[in-house]
Amino acid sequence: MLEIRNLHARIVDEDKPILKGIDLVVPKGEVHAIMGPNGSGKSTLAYVLAGREDYEVTQGDILWNGESILGMEPDERAAKGVFLAFQYPMEIPGVAGLTFLRTAANAVRKKRGQAELTTPEFMKVVKDKAAKLDIDIEMLKRPVNVGFSGGEKKRSEILQMAMLEPSLCVLDETDSGLDIDALRIVSEGVNALRGPDRAMLVITHYQRLLNHIVPDRVHVLAQGRIHKSGGKELAIELEQSGYAEFGAKAA
Amino acid sequence: MNVAVMKTKAEQAISEGFEAVAEALPGGAGVRTARKAALGRFGALGLPHRRIEEWKYTDLKSALKDVARPAVGDATPVTIADVIVALGPFARLELPRLVLVNGGYRKDLSNLDGVEGYEVKPLAAALAEAPDTVGEGLAEVAGQDQDAVIALNTAFMTDGALVRLKSGVVVQRPLLVVHIRAGKEPCSAAIRNIVHVADKAHARLIELYVSVPGSTAEGQVNVLTEIILDAGAELDHVKCASDTGRSTHLASLVLEMAADAVYRGFQMTEGVGLGRNQGFVTFKGEGGKLDLSGVLLGRGSEHVDTTLVIDHVAGACESRELFKGVLDGEARGVFQGKVIVRPDAQKTDGKQMAQALMLSEAAEFDSKPELEIHADDVVCGHGSTSAELDEDLLFYFRSRGIPKDEARALMIESFVGEAIDHVEDESVREALMSVARGWVAPGRG
Repeated sequence: MLEIRNLHARIVDEDKPILKGIDLVVPKGEVHAIMGPNGSGKSTLAYVLAGREDYEVTQGDILWNGESILGMEPDERAAKGVFLAFQYPMEIPGVAGLTFLRTAANAVRKKRGQAELTTPEFMKVVKDKAAKLDIDIEMLKRPVNVGFSGGEKKRSEILQMAMLEPSLCVLDETDSGLDIDALRIVSEGVNALRGPDRAMLVITHYQRLLNHIVPDRVHVLAQGRIHKSGGKELAIELEQSGYAEFGAKAA
Repeated sequence: MNVAVMKTKAEQAISEGFEAVAEALPGGAGVRTARKAALGRFGALGLPHRRIEEWKYTDLKSALKDVARPAVGDATPVTIADVIVALGPFARLELPRLVLVNGGYRKDLSNLDGVEGYEVKPLAAALAEAPDTVGEGLAEVAGQDQDAVIALNTAFMTDGALVRLKSGVVVQRPLLVVHIRAGKEPCSAAIRNIVHVADKAHARLIELYVSVPGSTAEGQVNVLTEIILDAGAELDHVKCASDTGRSTHLASLVLEMAADAVYRGFQMTEGVGLGRNQGFVTFKGEGGKLDLSGVLLGRGSEHVDTTLVIDHVAGACESRELFKGVLDGEARGVFQGKVIVRPDAQKTDGKQMAQALMLSEAAEFDSKPELEIHADDVVCGHGSTSAELDEDLLFYFRSRGIPKDEARALMIESFVGEAIDHVEDESVREALMSVARGWVAPGRG
């Protein structure tokens, strides 16, 4: 279970707070959506969960399975099961996709006390998972994300997620830059990972994604706080009324 | 003004060293005359210093305090097992090899059995057989009579590899030419390699400069590799200096390319106290192609310099240079790339790029491109970047569970990997990556 308690955060060396007291609980087995206007703090929340050093938590706590993760390095959090799917996945020239996946998978397996995957074991797993995301194995022999289309980058993120077998998945604007077909493939990949032992936090600006990844709960984040929570119908309401009532100016 | 009194201690030691060993150096009367003339040139030039433009960032006059005795007739005991250890990841390639120890050919350590297509002969042996015919080729290094390091090489050269490929001969397996520093006593070795690839032949050559673990960290290696590529000839050439961090490594490449010749070169330098790789390339015929890339790795107070002069005398030739430096501690990296396009060299296409990854604030990277263009229908470009490790990328790795040190290592490897990727042979590329990995994180290689 993810418990966020009165979380305040800002960018290091900047006075302006971005998160101003977030309280949120995501039980295992559930998918929660965070919706909100631009500048509401959605991506900050994602980065703070993953442990990015540019952000400073000034108050509050984040507990994962009862344990505070605030003092943990990003790689320790990953070993504890936290995974962030980036809004803008990074390009890594010179590192082949397969090398990256294998290094990452074995790093977390080692820290979780599991045996590292041998080359044949790894190849079998990766081929199987890549096929489900419609990713050609040849693409994984190329440097990570270099020259990939928006859709390819997002599929590559979901493949990384599948390989690392996280228990807390945070998806930051995974729908941005996707056409309908790519959105369907990515959503199917995410849905395949839904399970009783896994919590998911889906961050999005638009309701569109939530037609494909149907959430158990929806929370509205605006001006650094959760303003409203409800069932999946809240997303549809927001699509019609917009974020105006939460103090956001129309774009 | 009396120039003689201005000689530094090192310059004095070099002149005295020559007097002491001159009689023992190989070659007949012709070669001896050439050596004396070269020493005379060196005497007039002195050690290069920062006021000479080509040596702006590498002041040998002030850096070289002492010069170890010249290596002549060295007999330091070295075993095959030592050679295998010294070869590091290149040992796995099991290539035919010509081995030199402290400046001298060692038949007992070489293995030229599997050599096919190449004609290989140690320089000293060739000089003993036909002192004057071989000697003529050594006396003059094309157009390089104003370079003090090359003059020193001519004066002191003891041995090296003469490699020849006959017209149309195409080889698949590279030939390894290895120089090994060994023993407790520091010495100055001078190696001369001469490579001639006849028309339409394709050669593959790897030069390694290494040392036996446990031998002195001091010492100097001066190597000059002269390469002549005839029309349509091809050469894949890798040069790797991987030493123990204090020695001086002065390497010169003089390359002449006839029409349609193709040269793919890669240079890696790590673990040398003071390293200079200078290259002088001349396109003599149209249609030549040069792809020269390299990696400089420096830490501590190491100084690694790459200086290239690409002279487009003939038109319609293509030159590509990509050099990557990774600098930690107080290390200093230098890249100077000069491209000359002569008036008749229309349709020249020349590009160069130098990139440095700075791992510490005290490290320094000096990059100086120079374009000297005398023709009007050409495409020439250059670029240079210098950056620290990308923190955003580091976070991306770590968010995937990869610990900081491993993430840093992977990032450095990916940075240098882009240059190493220019090497065609996969097993050679893997050996070079292994040297780089060993530098990044000792024990990983």
